[in-house]
Amino acid sequence: MSNPLADMAKPDVIFCIGTNMTECHPVAATGLKKAMARGAKLIVADPRRIRLAELADVYLPIRVGSDVALLLAMAHVIDREGLANHEFIEARTAGWEEFRQHLKAFTPEWAAKICEVPAKDIESAALCYGRGKPGAIYYTLGITEHICGVDNVQSLCNLALMTGNLGVEGGGINPMRGQNNIQGCGDCGAETFVFPGSVPITDEAARDKFAAAYHRPDLDLGHAMTKVTGLQECGKSIRAMLIDGENTVISDPDKNHCEHALKALDHLVVIDIFMTETAQLAHVVLPATAWAETDGVACNTERRVQRLRAAVPPAGDSRPDWWIIAQIAKRLGIPGFDFQSPADVFNELCSLSPTYGGLDWDRVSRESLNWPVPTKDHPGTPILHVDNFTNGRGKFMRLGYRDPAEVVDAQFPVWLTTGRRLQSYHTRTQTGRSSGIDYLLSEESLEVNPEDAVAWGFQDGDWATVSSRRGSVKIKVRATDRSPRGTVFASFSFADVPVNNLTGSGYDPATHTAELKVCAVRIERATN
Amino acid sequence: MSAAGNQQLIERFRHQPAPLLPVLHAFHDRDGFLSEDALRAVSEGLKIPLADLFGTVTFYHHFSREPGGLNKPRVCTGNVCSLRGGNELLAALKSQGATAMPCSGRCDEPVPVLRGHETLVGTTPENLRASASPLPAPNPGGCEECIFTHIREPGRATLEGYKRTGGYEALTKAVREMSPAQLLAVVTESKLAGRGGAGFPTGVKWKAVADAAGNPKSVVCNADEGEPGCFKDRAIMDHDPHAMLEGMALAGFATGAARGFIYLRYEYPETFRILERAIAEAEAAGLLGANILGSAFSFKIHLRRGAGAYICGEEGSLLNSLEGKHPFPRNKPPYPVTHGFENLPTAVNNVETLASVPPIVRNGAAWYRGLGRNGHAGTKLISLSGDIQRPGNYEVPIGLPLQTLLHEWAGGPLSGRTIQAVTMAGLSGGFLAGDSLDCTLDEPSIRSKGSFLGAGGIIVFDDSRNMVAAAHDAMEFFAHESCGKCFPCRIGTQRLTERLNGEAGPRDLAAWTEEVRDIGAAMRATSACGLGMAAPFVTDSLLKFFPKQVENHVSAK
Amino acid sequence: MTEHSMNATAMERKLTMTLDGQPVGFSEGETIYQVAQRAQKNVPTLCYDERLEAFGACRLCVVEVEGVKAPVASCTTKVTPGMIVRSGSPTIEKYRKTLLELVVSENREVDVNPLRGFASQELTTLVDRYGARTGRFKGKKSGTSNKSDDNPFILRDYDLCISCYRCVRVCAEQEGDYAISMMNRGFSTQITTEFNGRLKDSDCTFCGQCVQTCPTGALADKKALRAADLPGEVTKTRTICPYCGVGCSVDLLTKGDRLVGVQPAMDGPANGGALCIKGQFAFDFVQHEDRLKKPLLRQADGSFKETDWDTALDIAAAGFRRALEQHGRRSIYGIASGRAPHEAAYSMQKFIRAGFGTHYIDNCSRA
Repeated sequence: MSNPLADMAKPDVIFCIGTNMTECHPVAATGLKKAMARGAKLIVADPRRIRLAELADVYLPIRVGSDVALLLAMAHVIDREGLANHEFIEARTAGWEEFRQHLKAFTPEWAAKICEVPAKDIESAALCYGRGKPGAIYYTLGITEHICGVDNVQSLCNLALMTGNLGVEGGGINPMRGQNNIQGCGDCGAETFVFPGSVPITDEAARDKFAAAYHRPDLDLGHAMTKVTGLQECGKSIRAMLIDGENTVISDPDKNHCEHALKALDHLVVIDIFMTETAQLAHVVLPATAWAETDGVACNTERRVQRLRAAVPPAGDSRPDWWIIAQIAKRLGIPGFDFQSPADVFNELCSLSPTYGGLDWDRVSRESLNWPVPTKDHPGTPILHVDNFTNGRGKFMRLGYRDPAEVVDAQFPVWLTTGRRLQSYHTRTQTGRSSGIDYLLSEESLEVNPEDAVAWGFQDGDWATVSSRRGSVKIKVRATDRSPRGTVFASFSFADVPVNNLTGSGYDPATHTAELKVCAVRIERATN
Repeated sequence: MSAAGNQQLIERFRHQPAPLLPVLHAFHDRDGFLSEDALRAVSEGLKIPLADLFGTVTFYHHFSREPGGLNKPRVCTGNVCSLRGGNELLAALKSQGATAMPCSGRCDEPVPVLRGHETLVGTTPENLRASASPLPAPNPGGCEECIFTHIREPGRATLEGYKRTGGYEALTKAVREMSPAQLLAVVTESKLAGRGGAGFPTGVKWKAVADAAGNPKSVVCNADEGEPGCFKDRAIMDHDPHAMLEGMALAGFATGAARGFIYLRYEYPETFRILERAIAEAEAAGLLGANILGSAFSFKIHLRRGAGAYICGEEGSLLNSLEGKHPFPRNKPPYPVTHGFENLPTAVNNVETLASVPPIVRNGAAWYRGLGRNGHAGTKLISLSGDIQRPGNYEVPIGLPLQTLLHEWAGGPLSGRTIQAVTMAGLSGGFLAGDSLDCTLDEPSIRSKGSFLGAGGIIVFDDSRNMVAAAHDAMEFFAHESCGKCFPCRIGTQRLTERLNGEAGPRDLAAWTEEVRDIGAAMRATSACGLGMAAPFVTDSLLKFFPKQVENHVSAK
Repeated sequence: MTEHSMNATAMERKLTMTLDGQPVGFSEGETIYQVAQRAQKNVPTLCYDERLEAFGACRLCVVEVEGVKAPVASCTTKVTPGMIVRSGSPTIEKYRKTLLELVVSENREVDVNPLRGFASQELTTLVDRYGARTGRFKGKKSGTSNKSDDNPFILRDYDLCISCYRCVRVCAEQEGDYAISMMNRGFSTQITTEFNGRLKDSDCTFCGQCVQTCPTGALADKKALRAADLPGEVTKTRTICPYCGVGCSVDLLTKGDRLVGVQPAMDGPANGGALCIKGQFAFDFVQHEDRLKKPLLRQADGSFKETDWDTALDIAAAGFRRALEQHGRRSIYGIASGRAPHEAAYSMQKFIRAGFGTHYIDNCSRA
């Protein structure tokens, strides 16, 4: 997030796109509700009539995967109506004139056809955001989990740049991260494109620094491999894998492919707290300590680095992940794994990461700060880009609209989109084992528009077989106005309804993020 | 109960200000009760959370949640009616599904029964009849009046009747010849003060609204005459409605408000229809609505009906109720003059106050000031009821001796009886008795006796009455009407009621007295609004004037 | 707080008033209660939650203001320059005691298990402080517990309700859910949902905020109460919620080695005391019987067999060594977890980068 969570109660105008915040980030959503109680306006773009949509002043039920078209048209209107912030554009951005020319063709009428919402509603949304002082954008995986995920994000950047909503309190572009430490995972460099501190692996100085620190003179310069490629290479170039705490088989797209891939490995080691579907495929399963048993550090979606503390002893013989990894490393003779405590590990990270340079275990135990924290006396950085952008000027990107990897056709005539529900988390390894949750959510169901349900001959609770080009699942139908006509929804939380059998139609070419939010399916009656 | 019907009812009011009460009444009238289906539709249509709406509906006494509820008889068992057979009538009507209601403002003609939208009066099921509310008798003291001067003239409630003796001349003069500042000056100089009980100078209030930032501004007429023993506003509205409407328009002109609301208590259904007609007449004649009398001044009056809650006479509760919120009082400051209806500047005035303004504008500030006695300005309407020869509404010069009103104007006690006590301010002022009856009808005098004049309701108790029982009835009313927001009032009124009816409390007189005094002191000092602050007047005055009756009560348990 | 805003606050506090005879600085917009709390006056209250708009229900916080006839509720009264306030004269303290005696008289129980909720001890603490267990003001009790609500999370024990409306207000103002409200009035006031039904059938999201703000334990954490009979004191440990990326601060409640519940940290920087159903109630996976307790090795028949750490780690390492030797350093891949702490993620990437000189490391953010 460019801005802190505390800013969420401050915008005049809130634009939520591709985020089901009241269910997926409920506490963050309370900030938005407070802003609205103060009189802020809410624009929501989402194919599904989620709770946020019910709260919205302008609701755009756009067709799945049509975000770029919407955002281009909004930019078109903002410029046409003279709502662009020329002072900001002049001072802070590059490429405005070319972008402006580029926008001319993308009228609301053009977008209305693609997005399947009225042009006048696109106009209203654009005027509303364009006039917000400040206006804040919030998004989640509904933006990124597309083949055009990067384009979607860039389009949002264009809007924020042209209205000067970056670097201001209560504004910004704010992706909401989905897992407790997914931000921290990236901060630590557990991501193929970057070293700890988000420094690109193509940066020569950084490569040299880590080569020295890790006693690895042959450390690659560049040469990334995403997990998607990694899985495709299983049994080919990739022969052994270490997976820490991830239920890849259920959470990743195209479950069948995923399972085959892991089975093709010569050696799979899984570290986890439960015998997950992924662990079932491992040669060695190593029990890790869980949350509430582990001392450590995590970083939230607003870049706030916070201490985790153990409150109860580990279950059985379980050990902290870092200890397990270090033990394997030591047995392989990898140097630098003589960690005695989590503090040792964290302090090494801080010594190597420019964004964590001012942090250490003791400081994090005393106070929680938003990175970057470059020095020991630095107070942290709640708002990014206040005076300048990391890479100089903010560049307008000229993008076009692309269809999703898969569009509906005669054979697969229905859009499927996937997501999460309030009461369950990820693949339910945790929430599924917490008592009481079943009272509210005991099984997965396919959300179908009531008119579609009638047209397709389903009643609530009937079983359907949903098929895509990659696989099929059996699932109970539930009629609800949350789904628009022609689009159905399910979450991937329940292992007995592996919705990711269906997904995986394509990947964003730059980030390899899967298009989990769109695929084409066919729905037929099933008996059970 | 088709969905289309629901939509139509909501659409009728959805784009008007203060839509919730009229929408709820529309459903209530259509179905005879408020069904779950109706509340769901209203919640959706007006975007009010369903839980809030449900809770708010249950707050009001008269919204029925059971089929047929609207048309079941509701019998007044208020403090005066219980002296006049209200409880016996309720028992007699039980077979028809009758329920009790608190004082419904017909104390001059007991016992009222509300059935549907009709007020019946009588003392047995057989003699119940519809009856227009009584007119005030000609002024027994021959004093010059302000409000009642013309009220007894035939046809006074019509526009024609009102205009016959100068009606709307004040408004005409204001919009044609005066500036708002000039009008404010007249009202200020007249020393007119709030006649609903608070006694705040009207001119000062209006000036504060005129000077406050924020638009649109509003004038709210507080016609929620809920104080037991008060029925003076009903007389004005039933027999001289245009006086109040003209007063509201003048208030709008003086303050810069273009919209007005009348918040009328539920228990006056006939009055609702009279006001509806009067507003329509005045609008048709260009005296209300857009560009009044061709001037730039516009003033639209919205008539809103309460649903049975004494607390809605408190201005914060009233405003919350109008806005469709839970009718708790608001914390003050800020006051309505800056943060009133929809948090915008608002003048909240009582019916009597507003009805005084047109004669003041016509006859001048000095004339009005001269109507009072002993240096007090103007007149006050007194609703007199209970054990007295001639109950009814009287317009008295402020400063008139109480004994003069009781004995000379109203004929004194019933034959063979003596006056044991009177209440002041309806019930809120507690009792006066003995030497304390030798006071004059003005705030300084009555406050010196430990009570206050308030809205001007006086209930008489003769020597046949048990004053502990009278105090209990009064406290039970306050407990029934306590909104439940603040602890001292919510628990205190309950505990005092239990001590007065003997359900709970010490059997030792000293301990009983100490508990009652301690509760009263905490209520008076810490309650959030006037209800809880005033209720202990009842127990304090009981202890002061009737220690023997208290002793008998405690020892008899 | 940035240096700039700290200076601003110091400057604003140039305004002064007199509190119990001492000059005190305050900023524009502050209430008497806020200033008094900063001056450590310990003004009592039962309806105040600093996260919510002041409401003025309990009246315990009344203070005397010179020139104002009746005491004022300090929580709803803004300070004005030069204001002279007495926060706790004997008269005021007597009113407070009377109010607390009244509250005790309407309630069926004052002493409740602290597992009921974060604020559940507020009433009993104040009653002790004021010696208000006098047994005076006996009479009817208020509130009726809802026995028919079968939800597994929130006990609706309105027998203990004192109508402070913190639950209703937290649901509306903090959560924006508006699932509960108050029905009837006066002494008959009752906290309710739409049509007085179950929470499950209302807009309730089971965030538990009503439970945690309840000052009497009338709303209580059913899951935590399962441990009411476990021996030992409740210990609190501050940590961060394990679910989404908001990073809410929580206090873990433990009794001995048992994790028995979660309470929100009211001073949590990301949540300010807010939580959702997962953070509030979905904690017991930690000590679930399904937890892996021993390293496991896959057997030839596909089943798993428990083993000791040394054996397991040797075999784990051997597999990577074999891949390295047979297929080279580009044959090994690591996937890190977005749910494990930094130390896990950092170690994972170091394992790959330092161990094999590649960047063949990724995480589930692309899932």
